[in-house]
Amino acid sequence: MFSTELIVQTFISGVMIGVLYALMALGITFIYSIMRMINWAMGEFYMIGSYLQYMLVALLLGPDLWWLAIPISATGVFALGIAVQWGLLKPIFRKPPETRDDYATVVTLALLLLFRSLATGIAGPNQFTPGSNLPVIMVGPMPLAGARVAAFVFALVALALFWGVLRYTWYGLALRAASQSRVGVQTAGIDVLGIDRMAFGIGVALAGLAGALLAPVFLVFPTDGLVTTVKGFEIVVIGGLGSIPGALIAGILLGLIESFGAAFIDSAYQNIYGFLLVLAILVLRPTGLFGERGREA
Amino acid sequence: MKRRGLLWAGVLATSFGAWGVSARAQDINVGLIVPLSAPGDATGGQLIRRGAELAVDMVNQQGGVGGKKLKLFVQDSQGTPQAGVAAYRRLVTEDKVVAVPGFFHSSVAIAVNEVAKEMGVPTISVQASASDITAKHYDIAFRTHAVDPVRVSTWMEFIKQKGYKKVSLVAETTDYGIGLTEETIAQNKSGKFGLDIQKVTFDNKATDFTPQLLQVKNFKPDLVINIGVGQPLDLIVDQATTIGLLPNTPMLISYDAPTRPQWWKLHEKDGSGIYFIAYYSPKSPLSDIGQAFAKAYRDKYKEDPVYGALNGFGAIEILAQAIKNGGGAEPKAIVKALESGTYKSWPTAPVTFPRADGVYWHNWVPPVLILHYTKPLQDWKEAEIVVQYSKK
Repeated sequence: MFSTELIVQTFISGVMIGVLYALMALGITFIYSIMRMINWAMGEFYMIGSYLQYMLVALLLGPDLWWLAIPISATGVFALGIAVQWGLLKPIFRKPPETRDDYATVVTLALLLLFRSLATGIAGPNQFTPGSNLPVIMVGPMPLAGARVAAFVFALVALALFWGVLRYTWYGLALRAASQSRVGVQTAGIDVLGIDRMAFGIGVALAGLAGALLAPVFLVFPTDGLVTTVKGFEIVVIGGLGSIPGALIAGILLGLIESFGAAFIDSAYQNIYGFLLVLAILVLRPTGLFGERGREA
Repeated sequence: MKRRGLLWAGVLATSFGAWGVSARAQDINVGLIVPLSAPGDATGGQLIRRGAELAVDMVNQQGGVGGKKLKLFVQDSQGTPQAGVAAYRRLVTEDKVVAVPGFFHSSVAIAVNEVAKEMGVPTISVQASASDITAKHYDIAFRTHAVDPVRVSTWMEFIKQKGYKKVSLVAETTDYGIGLTEETIAQNKSGKFGLDIQKVTFDNKATDFTPQLLQVKNFKPDLVINIGVGQPLDLIVDQATTIGLLPNTPMLISYDAPTRPQWWKLHEKDGSGIYFIAYYSPKSPLSDIGQAFAKAYRDKYKEDPVYGALNGFGAIEILAQAIKNGGGAEPKAIVKALESGTYKSWPTAPVTFPRADGVYWHNWVPPVLILHYTKPLQDWKEAEIVVQYSKK
């Protein structure tokens, strides 16, 4: 029947993939918590991160310096995010709040189509891989690709760094304050549009980081961010919109449910198990595991 | 004054409209539905597109068909039935195409044929293999590709030759994947092969196949048949290598993806040792038009054409011959001509679409082979030919 080894291997596989999904969800939930908007183009920022990683490793740095390509890719996506916020989103946020959601949805959906079409137009529809020189690493009884373990470690470091900045720095305090009350931080003399700019840049950089980390694991192609984005939104619903610990725990939970469902129930429905969990959460706790009931002013 | 302006506008609009109709009447519009984005196999779609585009150029350079130029309208199916059906409707109603070749994914071809049988514009599936594409005996459904029973017979011969007893089928939950697993199980029963078969299925939008592959490893098979298409196929190879399933257990890939130039770019380290289905032996000669196409393809793309490109070319060539010899570019006339004529394509063997029994209805089947990469970065033309199957 099912061996203990298979159960342990499935558990490790689920946790590993869950943490990587969480990185994507964190970007979505962070942007929402500050700007109160959903960025529908998150998958495309992930895709851009993966292409940057591929180009840097394949054309410039070589496979030995893959680790250097990762922060450069994330920084590139961060810069793009800053430019997008400054050029396309900032004007919207100067308008009355009632119209923001609609405009933000239209703008980010347009970006989704633009970036995806540009990727296909420039690089073609083929798949690429930046490759990896890292050896297979044994984690308990589970052999794992070195690139996947590296992605897991990088993701944990990024999550810890992100949490540390939010928790212990002045800027983190300002970000947390903006997530509680945009009007409140304005009255304290903080440039809320500047906060938005950083939040959007950091949020999409997290997606770009996920793309760069997963490029050698899941291949690079124009719609490679699609699956991870769907998982990201599932995690946001499970963990609670705006909750950072919720994103991490829900990511791991989703990874485990998908892995165990695929291994021990029916692998054909791997993607369904996550949706079932989402439905259950929506029925039992609509705000998510760690979400708080919102209050409209 | 205002009325005169309106009159002029009307005259101009009518003139442009008439010119548009006249311009359209000079061309014969042909559609092409191929996957050009995920979850479809975009590389496969691009190869068919290259072949079809080059065929249109070659036909037009030789004067077109009956003095008219062929014009190709390409639509992306994304490998999904809904996008494929929308593409077909658009090609027929807006672009007024007379036939729609293409089709890489069986699910797309099957769904489109359901609409095509009502709209009447024929389809030619060039790389979709599910039985239902032709087994339903629709007047408009044609195919120039291997069908499920032939593909499965080929790998059953391979399994018998190697003496394998335990086989894992790792298949996507599409018409292609399910059709092939069911056909394998059926042939195992009817042919008394006595195989112990494990069926593991997956959603083709998934990216992490580790849970499925752990199950396979736990089963300890003699052979794994990778029935993924596009990105899942490549990820299964990589992830099977990571968990140690490859290269210890041989893997057979269910179609000719390893013949593409992208194969070694993606699988430089883990692509050797793979067995794969192919539909064209490099040792077999090409027809005269096939050779002309191969030269034009090499000149344009700086690489040899593989089966997808050859079959994309072949479908357009066959259509051009059918229109020329069959008395017109009306869909009904094309259907009649295809059914009754004999056509020249890229292989030396003639191509026909008889109203044959079962799955062979309107179907021309290329030779099916199993090739084997015996060393890294091996040219597919030098791969070992392990099985060469022909329909008996």
